Amino acid sequence: MSNIPFRSDQLVDELVQFNQNLSQGVKNLLDADEISAGVTPRQEIYSEDKLTLYRYQPSTGVVQNKIPTLIVYALVNRPYMADIQENRSTIKGLLDTGQDVYLIDWGYPDMADKYLTLDDYINGYIDRCVDVMRERHGVDKVNILGICQGGVFSLCYSTLHQDKVQNLVTMVTPVDCKTPDNMLSHWVQQMDIDAIVDAMGNLPGEMLNWTFLNLKPFQLMGQKYVSMVDIISDEKNVKNFMRMEKWIFDSPDQAGEAFRQFIKDFFQQNKLVEGGLKIGKHDVDLKNLKLPVLNIYAEQDHLVPPAASKILPKLISSKDYTELSFPGGHIGIYVSGKAQATVTPAISEWLNKRS
Amino acid sequence: MSESNPWADQWLKAQQQFVGAWSDMAKSSNAGGNASQSDLWSQSFELWRQACQAQTQPDIQQAMQKCIDMGKEYFSMAEQISKGMTNGANPVEAVNQWMEQIKQSMQQFSGVPGFDSTAFGDFMKQWFNPTQSWQQMADAFTPMNQAAWQLPGMNTSVFNMGEAIDPMGKILSSPGVGYFREPQEKQQKGIQLGIEYHQANFEFNQAFLRVASESIQGFQARLLKIDGEATPKTLRQIYDLWVEISEEHYAEFAMSEEYQALYGNMVNRLMILKKHYSEITDDFLRAMNLPNTREVDTMQMRLQQLRRDNIELRNEIKDIRAMLKQPQSAPAAKATPVTKPAPASKRAPAKTAPSRKKAVARKAPAKKPDAVVKKQAAVNKAKAGA
Repeated sequence: MSNIPFRSDQLVDELVQFNQNLSQGVKNLLDADEISAGVTPRQEIYSEDKLTLYRYQPSTGVVQNKIPTLIVYALVNRPYMADIQENRSTIKGLLDTGQDVYLIDWGYPDMADKYLTLDDYINGYIDRCVDVMRERHGVDKVNILGICQGGVFSLCYSTLHQDKVQNLVTMVTPVDCKTPDNMLSHWVQQMDIDAIVDAMGNLPGEMLNWTFLNLKPFQLMGQKYVSMVDIISDEKNVKNFMRMEKWIFDSPDQAGEAFRQFIKDFFQQNKLVEGGLKIGKHDVDLKNLKLPVLNIYAEQDHLVPPAASKILPKLISSKDYTELSFPGGHIGIYVSGKAQATVTPAISEWLNKRS
Repeated sequence: MSESNPWADQWLKAQQQFVGAWSDMAKSSNAGGNASQSDLWSQSFELWRQACQAQTQPDIQQAMQKCIDMGKEYFSMAEQISKGMTNGANPVEAVNQWMEQIKQSMQQFSGVPGFDSTAFGDFMKQWFNPTQSWQQMADAFTPMNQAAWQLPGMNTSVFNMGEAIDPMGKILSSPGVGYFREPQEKQQKGIQLGIEYHQANFEFNQAFLRVASESIQGFQARLLKIDGEATPKTLRQIYDLWVEISEEHYAEFAMSEEYQALYGNMVNRLMILKKHYSEITDDFLRAMNLPNTREVDTMQMRLQQLRRDNIELRNEIKDIRAMLKQPQSAPAAKATPVTKPAPASKRAPAKTAPSRKKAVARKAPAKKPDAVVKKQAAVNKAKAGA
C-alpha cells in the first residue's frame, strides 16, 4: 500500500488556510458591485416580440468589412457569453478586427410564446433580422455566425436563403447529434418529448440547467465551489467569477413547440444527417448549401463533441470549406485568453478575405 | 466592511472558535469529544451568513451559499480523515476508514426509497447531487404530486416493496361508482400515476447508490496503486482525486443503456403525472367558471397562427406596393423578373434603423415563382382596370 505523505498538523494548516481564503472570498463577494451582463457598447436596432437585434459599436481606426455579420446565438442560455468581460469578448475581438457585428438576443420566452416553432424562429425572426441588416447597409447579403444551437439554425437558414448569406461561420455546432460520445443525445433518446411539452408547455430553464450540470456533476456542482474559494479570495477575480456564474444559471425557458421539434428532429432522429428535415413548409437538405463555410469546434467540448461538428463537410456542397479546431471546451472557445488570441482573429481574417 | 458591524463581530467570533477547535483537535485525539468540528464551523458560518444576508444581492447570496455548502462538505471530509489520523492511522488508512464508514452507511439505505442523504455524511451529498437536485426540481414542477404524498397513509416507503404495492394497485383500479364516478376515477388514476413515478424515481436513486458504491471501491483501489508524482500530498489533492474517480464512474454510468432507460422512464412518468393533474385542475377551474389551461392554450395557438398570417399578408402588401411602383419608371411587362428581386441597395435602403416593432421589407423565403408571377399579373390587371 502506498502512503500519503501528510501529517495531521499539515491537514489543520491546510484547513485554516482554506478557511481564511473562504472568509476573504465571502467578504469580497459581499463587497462586489452588481454584475453586468455584456460589456461592449451596443445599440438596439430592431425588436419584435421578445427578440432584440443589437448592433455593436464599431471600432474606430480599423478597416471596416462592408458586409455586416449577424451572430445567431442559441435559445439556451444568454448571448452575453460572447461578450462576457472587457478582455474576454469574442464580439470585441470581431469589432477590433473590422467586423460590423449584429446580434440577436432572443429574450426570455414565456407561455405566450409556447407555440413558436422552428419555422417562426428561422424563416421568421432570423430572416427579418437579416432583412433589416441588408436594408441598413444596402447590401444583398450578410455574414452569419451561428453559435451552438444557433449554428444549427444558421445552417438551416443559410441552406434555405443562400441569396441573403455571403459567408457562414458555425461555432461548436451539433450537426450529427448521434455520435457515440454525445451524453446529452444519449439521455434524450428514450424521453417522450411530446409528454414533456404537453405537460410543461415551455421547457423550464431550470430543467436545462439540471441537465447541463449533470453532465459533470462532481466538477460543476462540487469541485468548482471548492476551487472558487481560492479564486475569489483575490478581489480582482470576484467579478469575473460572478459573471460566469450568472451566465451559467441564466437559462431562459424554451418555447415548447420549437423545443419539441428541435429535440425530435435533431437529437432523436438526427435529420440533418439522415435527411427528411422540414422547417415549416421547406425541406432542408444540407447538400444544397454551397456557401463558403468556416466550421469551428472545440476539442474538449463536453456538450458538442468534435465529431458532431466535423461531419459537416461531408453533408454540404460548398467548395470553400474551412475547419478550425480549438484546443479547449465549449465555453473556453469564447472566454479564454487563448480563444481571443487565435479564434476571433481567424474568423475575421476568413471573413475579410471573402467579403 | 466595518469592524463595528454586528455581523463582522460574529464572523470574528466564528473564526476564533474555528481555529481554536481545530488546533485542539490537532493536539489531542480526545479533543472535541463527539462534537463535529465541521458542524461547529458551518453553524457559526451560517449565523454569520444570515446576519449579512440583507446586505447582499441575490446572485451573490446564491454563490455564497454554494461556497459555504461545499466548504462544509470539504470540512466534513477533513474531519473524518483527521479523526482517523489522530487515532493512530496513517493517512491512507484514515482515508480508507472514512470510505468504509460511508459504505456501511450506504448499505443500510440500500433498498429504501427517498433516502435522506444527510445520513450518509455531508461529503456524500456530492454523489447524490443529481438525485437530490432532481427531487427539488420535480417537486417544484408538480406541487400537486407532493401534496398527494402528504395524505394520511401515503407513506412512500412502501413503494419499493414490490408485492406491497399490489393491494393498493387493486384498490386504485377498482371502478368508480355513482354520480361522481368520473372525478373519482381521475383521482384514482392520479394516485396510480404517482406510484409509478415514485417507483421510477426509486429505481433511478437505487442505481445511483450502486454506482456510488462502485466509485468508492474504485477510489480505494486507486489509492492502493498510486505512487510517485501522482500520490496526493495534501487534503485538497485527495479531494480532487475523489472527484476525478467519481466523475469517471458517473460518466460510464451516464452513458449506459441502463441510465438512458431509467432516466427516460423517470422523466416520462413525471410528465404523465403532471399532465394528469393539470387536467384535473382544468376540470376544477371549469367548474368554477374560471379560464383554464386548455382554453388559454387554444387562444394562444390561434393567436400565433393569426400573427403568422398577419406577417405573411404584410409581406404580400409590401411586395404588391413595390410592384405598383415599378411600372412608373418601366412598363410592368419589362420589369426585372420578380422571382429574383433587385438587390436591397437598388431598392432605396432605409438609412436609419426601422422603427421599433415595425416590419421591414422582406423577400419571402423560397417563394414559388408562379405565385409571384400570378401576383404580378393581378397587379397589371388592376392597373389596366384603373
